[in-house]
Amino acid sequence: MDSAAPASRQDPSSAVRRAGFSSTVAPESSFDSQLLESVLPDVRSDVRWMGWRLRLLVGVALAGCVALFVLARMLAEPHYIDAAWRANGQGQIELKHSDIPTLQNLQGRVLKGIIAGKSEIAFDDALLLQRSARWLESDDDRERHRALHTQLSSALTQDKIKLVFSDGTVAEVKPQMRGYAGLGAMFFVLCALALVLYLIAMVVLLARPSTRNMVYALMALCQTGNLLFIAVESSLGLGLPANLPSWDMHSRTAFDLLTAAAIVHATTVHPRALPHGGGLALGAWSGAALLCMLSFAGQLPHAWWWTQAAMIVLALLAIALLSWSYRIEPHPYAIMLRRFGIVATSTLALLTLAVASAGSQPSLQYTIASIGSVIWYVFFASVLLLVPFLSRSHQVMREFSLLAAISTVATSLDLLFVAVFSLGQFASLTLSLFLALGVYAGARQWLLNQVLGSSVLTTERMFEQLYRIAREVEARPENTARQLADLLRDLFEPLEVLVVDKLSSEARVVAHGSTLLVPVPEMSAQPDAPPRAQSIVVRFARRGRRLFTLEDARLTDRIVEQLRRAVAFDKAVEQGRSEERLRLAQDLHDDIGARLLTLMYKAQSPEMEDYVRHTLQDLKTLTRGLAAPNHRLSHAAAEWKADLTQRLSAARCTLEWSVEFDDDMVLTVVQWSALTRVLRELVSNAISHAQATRVSIELRLENDQLDLMVSDNGMGRNPQAWSHGLGLGGVRKRVKQLGGEVEWVELAPQGIGCRVRIRELSQRH
Amino acid sequence: MSIKVLIVEDNPVARGFLCRVVRDSFSDTILITEAGDLESARRHVRAAGDPNAGPAPDAFKLFMVDLELPDGNGMELLSELARYPATKIVTTLYSDDDHLFPALQRGADGYLLKEDRFEVLVEELQKIVRGQPPLSPAIARRLLTHFRHGAGAKESDFAPMSAFQSSKPAYVERGAPLDHERLTPRESEVLTYLSKGFTIKEIANLMGIKWFTVNDHIKSIYKKLNVSSRAEAAVLASKQGLV
Repeated sequence: MDSAAPASRQDPSSAVRRAGFSSTVAPESSFDSQLLESVLPDVRSDVRWMGWRLRLLVGVALAGCVALFVLARMLAEPHYIDAAWRANGQGQIELKHSDIPTLQNLQGRVLKGIIAGKSEIAFDDALLLQRSARWLESDDDRERHRALHTQLSSALTQDKIKLVFSDGTVAEVKPQMRGYAGLGAMFFVLCALALVLYLIAMVVLLARPSTRNMVYALMALCQTGNLLFIAVESSLGLGLPANLPSWDMHSRTAFDLLTAAAIVHATTVHPRALPHGGGLALGAWSGAALLCMLSFAGQLPHAWWWTQAAMIVLALLAIALLSWSYRIEPHPYAIMLRRFGIVATSTLALLTLAVASAGSQPSLQYTIASIGSVIWYVFFASVLLLVPFLSRSHQVMREFSLLAAISTVATSLDLLFVAVFSLGQFASLTLSLFLALGVYAGARQWLLNQVLGSSVLTTERMFEQLYRIAREVEARPENTARQLADLLRDLFEPLEVLVVDKLSSEARVVAHGSTLLVPVPEMSAQPDAPPRAQSIVVRFARRGRRLFTLEDARLTDRIVEQLRRAVAFDKAVEQGRSEERLRLAQDLHDDIGARLLTLMYKAQSPEMEDYVRHTLQDLKTLTRGLAAPNHRLSHAAAEWKADLTQRLSAARCTLEWSVEFDDDMVLTVVQWSALTRVLRELVSNAISHAQATRVSIELRLENDQLDLMVSDNGMGRNPQAWSHGLGLGGVRKRVKQLGGEVEWVELAPQGIGCRVRIRELSQRH
Repeated sequence: MSIKVLIVEDNPVARGFLCRVVRDSFSDTILITEAGDLESARRHVRAAGDPNAGPAPDAFKLFMVDLELPDGNGMELLSELARYPATKIVTTLYSDDDHLFPALQRGADGYLLKEDRFEVLVEELQKIVRGQPPLSPAIARRLLTHFRHGAGAKESDFAPMSAFQSSKPAYVERGAPLDHERLTPRESEVLTYLSKGFTIKEIANLMGIKWFTVNDHIKSIYKKLNVSSRAEAAVLASKQGLV
């Protein structure tokens, strides 16, 4: 079903890459939206694993297994002598241990030669034990190594051979079929690793056969080859296939050089295409190919030196390219790769140095070249294994950083001890492992921070922010995207946060971990509001030093979910409170109101009646405020005017009313009821105490400052001397509640003015 | 000939007070019937005969209905009396539009706030009977929204205070507004001024018309509200198969 899709689906990053090859890409394009758009659809879906790709993968895996089986079978065929040998301090071959009865009591003897029929092979040094021809420093040794193996394998075809030891002992043994058991555990472990690497290479290649993935697959396949050779050679003992040493030399040199060239090529296209990348890659490839051909033709003197030098130069070039790439676009992948590159290159350089410096001591060279190179290849293979999963999980990176740190430090120390202090192999390995663990334990936190990036937000602060945002989002659902973007900015410290009109169902990591795509949840209160398909694009976490992983995506999903819940919870609480208020208001109004009404009708005097009436009106204001939480200023002012007009006209008093406001703000319950009661109280005073015939009210709201002036033409005088009875005290209390100030002044020719001023009205609640 | 008045009010003290208000308001002979709850009010109405069915000399001319009654809401009675040719006045403690507007929609000709002074109540009652109903800014605002939405004022009109209402008015989706559902520009203008808190005299000045012309507009608005509400009720009833 998916067969047409890969061809038709235009890989957006390959478009950019092609532009890079023709070196037309603009130097400053990292932040343009076009690139972003091209990055966004780069979404991996599981769909592609349906159909032919899956079948092909299964087929490829089966082929790999069959190939391994054939290899094991080939190795199991030739004859060999079932004994373990080692090089002693003098660079001679020493019998370590054997199950053959004739050899059992000869442990520790030095083997001088082999007599097989008419031919005699003499062993002057331990060169025969050298596993890999590739890691022999001098060309002469390599030639001798090859010749020795050829002689040995022909000798082993004899029925019986004699082993001559240095003390003159001669032991006659019968070469046997090796069999699968004779291959050793190391062989199978390394084969398994090789198989895994091979499968990863195939998966990456099948997932998307782009240039980048092909280069990666090539690297992985080369290392698979290296691992297989190491596996074959690890089955120690006398007796390997005759021409293995020469295959080993050519193939492994080619593998290493091709891998180095492929790394350079990969860095020119990933994480971003570099200008002139094509030329650089071509140069690397041709250099590597030239060396390979020379080596194959045997025309390359000092082949080991050339190979090592070429590898290190190419690796340094790749590191430089990654630094350049990071400067053009701060993709955290570049930093991550560079970090691995530096570790791998420096260990390779160290290994090269160790092998070269140990050249004078054959036994040392044997140890370093055999053990050291194996460790380095395994390390490199695991880096390759890890690379496709860097942006998947923090766990992988954590585990890997542990492995890499310990093994790197241990290897270097091991090599150092062996080369410089001439310690025994076991002692140096133990010591260096111990030291490496110590160093790792000490530097663990720093290391993890370097690899993962420390969490910027503490959990506590994040919760605080989450709930603050929830409140703001509830008040203004249209700001959800902005608020959430701010939270993500604090969480990940990205270089770039954008809001785009694109819907996605959940948070996703795209563009190889440089970008996180977070859907904006729909918080709008109106269900019929058009859904706004928005996503937040967060790019380059921790200022471009950290990769987004699947865990980050899940964390973000959880944050979004928490935000949604917090908003829903706040809404439910608010609704519950408003229902509660309504019920309270209704009860107050119905019960107390009815009683006050009865009391008012039965009042003994007009004063008492007025008093109860005011109480009743206050109660109504209170219950009204409880029931309706918000009052727009213009609406409130209209009601105040209507109410006061009626009240004043009943008292044969005229009202001069003027209201001006620059913002028709929404008054809260407290503001509304306080202002209502202040106005009512002041007007009551003017009517009843001052017996005014004209009351003038000016209400002004300007720049969030409310000015209220209530003046009358009554007979009140000397306001400072007034006793603050219930009425005036109430006015003071309410104004204070609103954070304002109130003062009474005498007016000319007569009357009292009351001035209320509230600054920053909207800040008061 | 005496004027028959029905006062529906559960509080005996308040009932007595309202009786005094009614007696003080009119010079005619007043025959007051008192009812403490909806049930007895209905009984009295039935006993007086249905003026729609034929001449009923005993029919009530004035209803004073309290909204909060022991056995229900006064609005139920108002709905039942929708076609009863009499002046219907709501007496209540609730002065907010959320309570009064539905009452006006059910055909109330005006409202009296029970906590007002005796003199104020007498004056207001006389005004209503003369055809000068009160119209607070909040109710004016409500009316504006009601008519702006083609009289089909939807649920949203009542949403904020729905918990306060014991019976919710039912509305039906309808097509284009009919004539009686639309306000004239003058009526809209009057309503707009009223919603801003202007008094009738001020509005008359602002519009350059006589105050009683303003009053006529208000009466007309009241009528349109009643008619449109009744039409809605009829549509709803036919939809529900009640008619």
